[in-house]
Amino acid sequence: MKVPMSWLREYVEVGASTEEIADRLVISTCEVERIARVGVADDDGNLGLFRVGLVVQAGKHPNADRLQLCRVDVGEGEPRQIVCGAWNFGEGATVAVALPGAVLPDGQRLEEVKLRGESSSGMILSERELELGTDHTGILVLDGGHEPGTPLADVLPLAEEILEVETTPNRPDLLSIYGLAREVAAIFGGELRPLPGTDPERSGDEAVDIRIEDLERCPRYVGRLFRDVKIGPSPPWLRARLTAAGMRPISNVVDATNYVMLAVGSPLHAFDHTRLDEGRIVVRRATLNEEIKTLDGQVRTLTAEDLVIADASRPVAIAGVMGGEDSEVTDETSEVLLEAANFEPSGIQRTSERLGLRSEASGRWEKGIDPYLAAQAATLCSELFVDLAGARWVGESDVHGELPESPAIRLRPERASALIGLEVPADEQRRILQSLGFETSDGLEVRVPTWRLRDVTREIDLVEEVARMKLEEVPFTLPQRQEMYGRLSPEQRLRRDVEDALLGAGFSEAYTPSLVADDPRPDALRIPQPQSQDMAVLRTTLLPSLFEASRYNQSVGNSGVALFEIAHVYLAAEGLPDERVHVGGVTEGPFGRAKGAVETILRALGIDAAFERAEHELLHPGKTASLGVGIVGEVRPGLLEGTWSAFELDLAALAGAAPALRAYEDVITYPALRQDLAFAVDEGVAAGDLAAAAREAAGAELRSMTPFDVYRGEQVGEGRKSIAFRVEFRSPERTLTDEEAAGIRERIVGALRDRFGAELRA
Amino acid sequence: MDAEALASEALGAVGDASTSDQLDDVRVRYLGRKSELKQALREVRDRETGMALNAARVRIEEAVADRQAELERAELDRALSEEQIDITLPGEGHHRGHLHLISQVRREVEDIFLGMGYEVVEGREVETTRYLFDALNMPATHPTRSPLNTFYLDDEIVLRSETSPAQIHTMEQRQPPIYMVSLGRCYRRDTADPTHYPIFHQVEGLAVDTDITLADLKGTLQHLLRSLFGEDRETRLGTHFFPFTEPSVEAYVSCFLCDGSGCRVCKQSGWIEIGGAGIVDPNVLEFVGYDPEQVSGFAFGWGLERIAMFRHGLPDLRALWQNDLRLLEQF
Repeated sequence: MKVPMSWLREYVEVGASTEEIADRLVISTCEVERIARVGVADDDGNLGLFRVGLVVQAGKHPNADRLQLCRVDVGEGEPRQIVCGAWNFGEGATVAVALPGAVLPDGQRLEEVKLRGESSSGMILSERELELGTDHTGILVLDGGHEPGTPLADVLPLAEEILEVETTPNRPDLLSIYGLAREVAAIFGGELRPLPGTDPERSGDEAVDIRIEDLERCPRYVGRLFRDVKIGPSPPWLRARLTAAGMRPISNVVDATNYVMLAVGSPLHAFDHTRLDEGRIVVRRATLNEEIKTLDGQVRTLTAEDLVIADASRPVAIAGVMGGEDSEVTDETSEVLLEAANFEPSGIQRTSERLGLRSEASGRWEKGIDPYLAAQAATLCSELFVDLAGARWVGESDVHGELPESPAIRLRPERASALIGLEVPADEQRRILQSLGFETSDGLEVRVPTWRLRDVTREIDLVEEVARMKLEEVPFTLPQRQEMYGRLSPEQRLRRDVEDALLGAGFSEAYTPSLVADDPRPDALRIPQPQSQDMAVLRTTLLPSLFEASRYNQSVGNSGVALFEIAHVYLAAEGLPDERVHVGGVTEGPFGRAKGAVETILRALGIDAAFERAEHELLHPGKTASLGVGIVGEVRPGLLEGTWSAFELDLAALAGAAPALRAYEDVITYPALRQDLAFAVDEGVAAGDLAAAAREAAGAELRSMTPFDVYRGEQVGEGRKSIAFRVEFRSPERTLTDEEAAGIRERIVGALRDRFGAELRA
Repeated sequence: MDAEALASEALGAVGDASTSDQLDDVRVRYLGRKSELKQALREVRDRETGMALNAARVRIEEAVADRQAELERAELDRALSEEQIDITLPGEGHHRGHLHLISQVRREVEDIFLGMGYEVVEGREVETTRYLFDALNMPATHPTRSPLNTFYLDDEIVLRSETSPAQIHTMEQRQPPIYMVSLGRCYRRDTADPTHYPIFHQVEGLAVDTDITLADLKGTLQHLLRSLFGEDRETRLGTHFFPFTEPSVEAYVSCFLCDGSGCRVCKQSGWIEIGGAGIVDPNVLEFVGYDPEQVSGFAFGWGLERIAMFRHGLPDLRALWQNDLRLLEQF
């Protein structure tokens, strides 16, 4: 909401600057987006160069048909000669003048000039040139009451500061200048003036026919009837205020309703009374498929959920959202029915959402406006109708059900202090609440003002009122702990270990979206209404996303790509999906690159794992292994350019496989005996199978058997290969003798010969 | 013979030797089999002379050994200095990967809270509306419940739009005191732009104990913000509104670029908005079976991307999802 500060200051007496006000509002009330400055710059006496002028002489420019040559009294004794391009005024008009040297809002500096041979020492201004409005069809003509030479700033808000605030949905009372003025008064201890508006004299007692059929959706409807209304433009001050607040001036009657909405926060509507069938207002539900053409020219089809304002025969407005075109106030209107009503928020919200139709009014109603405000809004608007449009107020009807009562809430001041963590004396708490419109007794009972009824219902809500006024004074403390334990769980530590292992192995961490276009598993969970088709499925594997990230890096020319990610995957299950945390990795290079990374992780965690041949649809069928906790393999050719390998492991499975703690093993006292053994075997025999069989035959004293070379060639023969192992024999109890080692070796050689036809090579 | 004079003459000669060869000559001259000293030693008759001669011998031997080490060292240095290489050439191998910026912030935040005695709680990303909305005191009309804002899998199952359900699960599982943070992915139907992406990361914090105050929240957030943005930073709270906290606040940190004097990053205000926080609403405490008269709590929920972007001057958070090594390797 845009808050012209000159308007706000009309409601509250406060010495603080606009910056100070903005600063404190942010702390106690609402966000302030920015302070905008519009109009004439107020520096170097610039403002003083803008004056009220009286046109004492006006006529055609001798050398130009389109220009007027004027003599304008700006309070200097001698009138100035000014050339002007507008014709909407003549002798005797009171106008706004900028003198030479003045800087206009658009930055232009006026100079004494000659126009078509005539000197012009100043400029007669339009409202657009002053940023007071958008009208530039003619110059701005002022009321006659001002002396020539009066500073223009005394007559018009020439230099305006506008606070742009963003209020929270619980505070519809802040969607008004007066509501914000109340906060400013409470914050700075300034004096808040009474709500604006005094009923004008009523010149008639005509009946106003108002009927509410749905008191729940429309708890109140004040209808006031005006005759002899003269529609015309609003005066400059009103146009300036609406413009500054971000609304477009239309006509005096419409502007008055908008002005009152902005001033006090309760939206209003004006009907052309003669266009209402039987002059009647009926607040009712629409019938199914009932139609109305709204002010924006669109035909809207309604449902029985929608509340309408109808006359005797048809809807004339969608209640609280937008008026109908048929009954709108036009230049010919002379009888106006003013609606100052109250509508229930959720109904307005549903209708406005269904129709995709939002207005300044609906935005307020759907947050819940105080029904008591309607009467004051009607009063202020009536005053403006009479003042601005010469209207006569001739009748009123105020229909309402039972209006909500202010409940009394018990506030324990010591409770408030305890929750805030700052001792706020009871007297001060009472004073704060009173400044915000709460009524307090000497005891603990607090009565909530009607404009806060929806928001303040409990003691804690009162505590917030006190707290927000004291936020800057609240000290910085830490909880007075009774117990203290801060630690990562074993799984969380494991996650960091995995991250660190992969970083050490040269992998960088990627973040890829968990929502993907498609997933290898047909039962992957789909979002029924995805935001886009490439974010439609909850992934069950990280690999495709990592491939995509690799492809991207390749496409931009990055080399040495190795990426990993740790993220949730989602497996379909009864009820909520089974969410698992996976670590996936992809790297340039063959099978061994990815397997090496996996082994790095396993070593970091102290896990022994066996690799078994496996299949995976994204991986090479001959170069893929499973290891219980996940899978590793070469990326299936065609998915990425070049040779890549990848892995995906389950973190919970890794945690399950990792030893809780690693016990000390003495590997120093009794040194190991090392030998190299090479076996010739058929091509299909796996090194891992040989090692497993050897371990079984040799017993615990075979400490390790690691393949280090594979050889194929004439010496081993067609279809055979030689695998060389480094073996290590060691006993934890004594130093093994050469004879003992030879015995173990015999057992290994024998077992491998028997099971795999393996020949020991010299 | 005068042992003392001999010794000082020998020491002088040792000092003068400037190569190993010269030193060797000196050694032979004063300590060799035919040297004056050795001969005198052989001929010595009385104990006193013997002791003096021996002492001289030891002094000379030590001096020779010391000088020998000195000369060898100098000769080695001379030789090595001729093996000069270009030390500006880059090192080899040992390429270490880079943790994603968000993970770095995540670890940092975890460690800050571990240091304050908090535990780190893991949460589900797919949640029920009960834990995402009902438990958090969100009225039926709250816009977050709209399928226009939150991803629904069915009427009751949603992708969490904030990490707060982890609070509820933790509170349901046990009694106070509770001091926890939870970090992870969240999902909202936001159109991707420089400051939004449908997937983002939050840190959620919760403290529930017998006498938690708004001041405790203020102090805790100040510690967090100073740890993240520097010890000179100031913290300020502004009034806000959330269904699950009352009072609700928005936390601001003094701008670390302009130090509060106003710049483009802080929109001339001197303060940068970081995220929401507040005192846990009694309705939330009651939902999990706590008595709001007995315990109170504070909570906060902030975006990790926002912290990372401000701190590192990242103009567009979509870059965090691009996984370009040129970006990843900057952090």
